[in-house]
Amino acid sequence: MGMVLQPMFVRMAPGARQAFFAFALIGVCLLFAFPVLWLILTSFRPESGVYYVHRGTEFTFGNFAAVLRNERIIEAFVNSAVIATLATVFSLMVTVSSGYMLSRFRGPFARTWFGTIYVFRCVPYISWVLPLYFVTQSWGIYDTYIGLLLPHIAVHICFFSWLMKGFFDGIDPSMEYAALIDGCTRWGAFLRVALPSAIPAISALAVLCWLFTWNEFLFALILTGERTPVITVVMAQFVSEMGLQWNLMSATAVMALVPAFALTLFGQKYIVRGLKI
Amino acid sequence: MLLLIAPAALLLVLFQVVPIVIGANASFRDWTLNNPKKTWVGFEHYISVITDPAFVQVALPNTFLFMFASVTGALVIGLALAVLLNRGFHGQKLVQTVLLLPLMVAPVIAAIMVRWMFNDQFGIVNVILEAIGLEGQPWMAQRWSAFGVIVLTDVWLWTPWFTLLLLAGLQSLPKEPFEAAAIDGTTPLRVFRYLTLPMLRPVIVVCVVIRSIDAFRTFDIVWTLTGGGPARSTELFSLYAYVDAFLKLDFGRGSAAAIIGGLIILVVGVVLYRLVDRVVRA
Repeated sequence: MGMVLQPMFVRMAPGARQAFFAFALIGVCLLFAFPVLWLILTSFRPESGVYYVHRGTEFTFGNFAAVLRNERIIEAFVNSAVIATLATVFSLMVTVSSGYMLSRFRGPFARTWFGTIYVFRCVPYISWVLPLYFVTQSWGIYDTYIGLLLPHIAVHICFFSWLMKGFFDGIDPSMEYAALIDGCTRWGAFLRVALPSAIPAISALAVLCWLFTWNEFLFALILTGERTPVITVVMAQFVSEMGLQWNLMSATAVMALVPAFALTLFGQKYIVRGLKI
Repeated sequence: MLLLIAPAALLLVLFQVVPIVIGANASFRDWTLNNPKKTWVGFEHYISVITDPAFVQVALPNTFLFMFASVTGALVIGLALAVLLNRGFHGQKLVQTVLLLPLMVAPVIAAIMVRWMFNDQFGIVNVILEAIGLEGQPWMAQRWSAFGVIVLTDVWLWTPWFTLLLLAGLQSLPKEPFEAAAIDGTTPLRVFRYLTLPMLRPVIVVCVVIRSIDAFRTFDIVWTLTGGGPARSTELFSLYAYVDAFLKLDFGRGSAAAIIGGLIILVVGVVLYRLVDRVVRA
């Protein structure tokens, strides 16, 4: 029976099998990388060549220069960077303690908090971002940094508290008990013992949080307007406004990819670890 | 203990609970620009949404179909890649880095990219199709091809996430059962079916639950790829609510649609959570 069920490549010679394996991997890598490579290629083509990207050999940096001359795009880049950085710092500050609480405390209170977080994680963004538009307007923070920043932090609370709980679960609490016996307060045990051992995990989360905020679209679309343009929204508007200028579109997209790319390469090791739930 | 969650709880109340309450209130009112009094209309919006063919026959089935197709696609490909990567080989690091690529691409950028590739006149997909003698398609102008492109984009974006998590799961499995199977000369297919898959089940279930909930509320790639078109035929429920509230400026009806979607995913979420709990404990 085993013989019948054996897939083709098991019966191949070892060399052929390895070649098959290598080809499969190269194919997969190409499939995953191709869209990004194609975008980069398009971004270097002059306007006349953009419709025949696969032909011709003219390349130019002109698209990037044109994008950099556009004040609105520059403003959007700066805004996105500021918001992503601030959101990362504050989200981590808020969720690290919440995750610690979930990990170290038992009882109905902790259970309720965990349940709340799970439920709110399931709430579709659209259900609270629609009314959030009116909330931020009546509080006078619509289309400002604060008005986008605070909701962003609120988005991260549920998911990150959950991840943080996992990190702290993986750290042996006996050191903290030792500190408590030695006369440390609960806060002291948290800040001086538990927190330092969670630093690698927190760095992973910082990278992820920055990427999430940098890449986020729906909140930015609804909560910002003319005064605080954000890069994802500006790009999406371009698709309809400069519908035919794919060279400029691609150049902008490539520029938005660069910080994310750099950060991911820098924190790759942490991210892979941090993605594990 | 209270102090530890006080900041988080405060933000949660101000920016999630308060808006949801306001949204719920709005969903029972005639909240349009030409009615400053915001008259109470009861369940009128809810009834109008659940009797609207564009919601019940298009947006809602689209949402579930999208959730199912995209999660299944990403899971199957992600699992295959994880098993492949788990064998260990030269250049594995490089492959892993390439696989990380979609994870850092903003969904909006991915959508722009794919839209350009599937452009009906100049897109590379049609160029290739014509080069091998097939006919190019106006991908974004037909309902099912546009829907397929949306699913494809989502699978591209999320397969790496599955791969990384499942690979981590595979690497943490005990070695002994696999060694025993190797000694018995078990075929790879049977090892996968009777050893890998059952042992990996908890990780798979958790991944599927998290991804399903997120896929249900997808907005950005659909909005950038098709805007819900052609003729609102690829709308998901979140787009339906957005269009009502911000394009038709009927905020009450938009809120009602958003809340209906929210309730549906809440039920789905609870059911899935139960399922995870049972599987993990078993």
